[in-house]
Order: sequence, then structure tokens, then C-alpha cells
Amino acid sequence: MYRAGQQPDPPHGSDDGKTSDAAFAALLEDSAEELYESAPCGYLSTLMDGTIVKINGTLLGWLGLEPETVVGRMRFTDLLTMGGKLYHETHFAPLLRMQGEIGGIALEIKRAGGTRMQALVSSVVKHGCTGEPELIRTSVFDARDRRTYEEELLRARRVAEEARKQAEADRARLQDALAVLQQSLLPDSLPSVPGVEAAAHYRTASPDRLGGDFYDLFPIDGRRFGFFLGDVCGKGPQAAAVTSLTRYTLRAAALHDPDPVSALSTLNRALHERYTDGGDPRYCTVIFGTLAPDPAAGQVTVRLASGGHPPALVLRADGTADFLPTPGGLLVGILPSAPFTAVTAVLGPGDTLLLYTDGLTEARTGEDRTSLYGDAALRDFIAGHAGKPPHAVIQALSGLLDDFGDGLDDDSALLAFGVTAPAPRTDISA
Amino acid sequence: MSTLHITAREAVTGPVLGIVGALDHTTATELRTRLTTITLRPGQRLVLDLHGMDFCDSSGLTALIAARNLAHAARADVALVAVPPNTMRVLRIVGLDQIFSLHPDSDAATRP
Repeated sequence: MYRAGQQPDPPHGSDDGKTSDAAFAALLEDSAEELYESAPCGYLSTLMDGTIVKINGTLLGWLGLEPETVVGRMRFTDLLTMGGKLYHETHFAPLLRMQGEIGGIALEIKRAGGTRMQALVSSVVKHGCTGEPELIRTSVFDARDRRTYEEELLRARRVAEEARKQAEADRARLQDALAVLQQSLLPDSLPSVPGVEAAAHYRTASPDRLGGDFYDLFPIDGRRFGFFLGDVCGKGPQAAAVTSLTRYTLRAAALHDPDPVSALSTLNRALHERYTDGGDPRYCTVIFGTLAPDPAAGQVTVRLASGGHPPALVLRADGTADFLPTPGGLLVGILPSAPFTAVTAVLGPGDTLLLYTDGLTEARTGEDRTSLYGDAALRDFIAGHAGKPPHAVIQALSGLLDDFGDGLDDDSALLAFGVTAPAPRTDISA
Repeated sequence: MSTLHITAREAVTGPVLGIVGALDHTTATELRTRLTTITLRPGQRLVLDLHGMDFCDSSGLTALIAARNLAHAARADVALVAVPPNTMRVLRIVGLDQIFSLHPDSDAATRP
């Protein structure tokens, strides 16, 4: 023990230097055999055929064997598990023969009592003075800790991998559920209406988010069909709930009273009562109308009203296109009772009525989010397709939506009706 | 990222909120939260000055409607000032021009 302020004694005093050296030498002499027997790793020497000729105490301790049962009686491979034997035979021994040494190979050794122990094995071939291989010297390191660590790493990786797979599966399931919900907000297919061709298109701006646009076409009675197209404020599950309420309220209202003003008033009351009274105002813009086809006359009478929705476009067979104004209509759902007015239009052969949502007219056409496509541009574009049947008009608009690319911030719904060309008259008297 | 700045002053007619910047789905809740902190007495007029508003989407419209509902619940009036042309076009389409009183400037809107 050193005391403060004093120099420590030199390790080898000049007086007893010789005694110390002798003590070290004695210690080393002693430890050569001792080191072999009690080294922190296992040692063994075998003949070239694997017969064990020498083995240290450490390894015997790990194996739980006595030297007399091992030396001259067992081969190195007898110490290995079945898997270890196979690996030894197919890899370890051939490489050792070829290279004269091999290091750090993981092998499992058998212990008395049937347990196994993970070990890292290195071997080197000792050659005689004539160059002939004489012995194999092998060291065996305990690799249980290291194996535990590796197994832990592997386990952690498996857990992470499973978590990733689970997350992917959850995400796929959620997308499926969203797709099913989205589909429940739109008709699977449009019913066939006598003397009328109908076409629709829906474009979602983001597959992950439920859109708030909707449309429908359905029979009311033997003579008339109801239709609507609209846009619910907002996106996501809450908006989808409003869309669902809107869709089924309008369908039921139309069966009760197909007058467009009456149907929109019923929807207005339902939305206002459900949401605004609860302090969470939710509303939609929608055009609702009825089609009364007269195939014999080759025309369809359309009666519609708008609740704050952009006006429909009428494409005439003569190549003109114009908005069908629906003044005075208010967003549906914000006031306890809202004004709606109905207008009537008659479509003749080659005429098409187009309904759309503002995803189309509000598509960005420049860097700035105030540079929008706009009503005038839509009318000019659509005038170029006047006279074409509804499916061709929808196809042209679908192409236009494609061209907007990233400029589409919102979903777009399109619905078009046209009078099918009358079947060519055949002169039966001829 | 859009930003919204809301100024506030008190006129003889009641509170005047200035909307500066974008009123959209990321900022509309700021206005809606702000609205809950103002006091409106019956017969007063809540004025929203949109002179500095450069963008308004459907969430922004919802916030304006919420302001109107709040004013009506307090038996107060609501007025929009200097509505930018783009927003005015939308207000006309959705019929909201019928339910807000609209003024060209805040002087006109705060005249008792």
C-alpha cells in the first residue's frame, strides 16, 4: 500500500533482483503444463486419422469425460454432434488437409448428459522433420455467449421482420377496406335507361384517402330515373360518412317525392340536423335531377336543382356548349332551410348533359395554387366535343384529367347523359 | 406550408378579424379556435376582413360558415370585407353570397 507523498518502491529492488527472476522462471516452468491443462480454452491433439492422443482438462471438463475413456479410444468427431460430424467431414477436414490449418469454425460438441455446447474450433497440422503430416493440434473455444448473442440478433431480426410483414398486411387490409367503402359510395354500374346513354368516371386524387365525391343513377318509377352528383366538404372517414348519409337520403327522398327541390330540401334537413346542430358543420354541394326519357320522340326531359354545385354543361348536337344556370341554390346542410330552384332542359338526339365536380375545374394548371383550370376553359374544351356521345365525352375528360397529373388536388367525378340516336327507320312497305 | 395570420381590433360595430395568408385545411382550425375566444354581444357585427387572404379552400369556407353560425348564436350579424375575386367566384357558386353581408372595405362594414 502506498502512502500519500511517498514514492512507490521499485518493482525490482537491486538487492533481490536475482531472486525475483528465479521466482518468475519457476512460475513459468510450473505454468507450462498447468496452462495447457487449465487454459481458458480446450486443447487436443489427434493422429491424422482423428484418434485423440492428448486432451486438456478444460475440454474434458466441458465434455464431462475422463481422460482414460477418451485418449486412444475416441476420435475427434466422436466429440461432435451429428450436425458437427457432417460439417467436419464435408468442410472442416477437407480444408484442413488442403490448407494445413483452419480457424474459427463453429461446431457443436456433445456433452455428457446429452446437452450440446457451441464451440469455435481451430486446427493446425504438425509436420514431422521429413515433411510428413504427423498430428493435428486443435483448440476449442467456448462460443456459448457468442452464440447466444447471435441467436438474440437473429431472433430480433425475425421479430422485426414479422412486425414489418404484419404492418404490410395491416396496410393492405386497410386499403382493401377503404376500397370497399369507397365502392359503397358509388354505383357498381349504371342502370340502362331507355333511349338514354349514360357514362361516368371517378378519379381519386389519393388512393389512401376516402374521397368525398359521389354520383348515382337509379330508377324511380316506371317512367323516370333519378340522378345526382356532388362533393362533400372534406376527406377521409368523416367525409365518407357524410357521403353515405347523402347518397342514401337522396335515394330514399326521390322515391318519396322525385321533385328535385323537395329531394334537396330533405337532404338539407337531414344533414343540418345530423351535423350542424351537433356543432360540427358538414355540408355538400350536389346537383339532383330526374330524367324522363321519351324514346319515341327521341328526347329526354331533364329536371334538376343545384345545392351550391358548379352548373351542369349542356353539349348540343350543333357543336355548342353552355352552362345550365341553377341560380340561388345554397350549399346543402348549412342552414335549417335552404333555397333551391329547379330548371328544366330538354335533350334531343346528339345532345349531352355533363355533371362534374370542382376537382376538374379547380385542377392546378401552374406552380401557383391559384392558377386553376377554370369554368371557361372547361366550356371551351367541352365545346370541342359537342355532338359526341356521352362515353366519348367522358373519355376525352378522362384524358384531360390524365394531363393534369400532379395538378389534381381533389377527387373528380363525372357523369354524362345523352339521347341515343334513334334506330334508323326501315321502310317496311318497300 | 401555408401560413395564416389573424389580426384583431375592436370597432364601434364589434370585433374585426383580419385574415392574412391562406385559409385552408392546415390553417382553418386556427381561425375556428380564435373565433371561440372573441366576445360578441347581441346586435353587434362580426367583421372578417379578407383583404389579405390569398387562398381559401373548402375547409376555409367551413371556417367562415362556423363564424356565421357563432355570430347568429350570439344574435349578432356577420360581414365579409374585400373578398378576393377567386373566393368570390366560389361563394357565388355555392350560394354563400346570399347568407353573408359583403362589403368592399372595412370602413363600409364597420359603419354603425
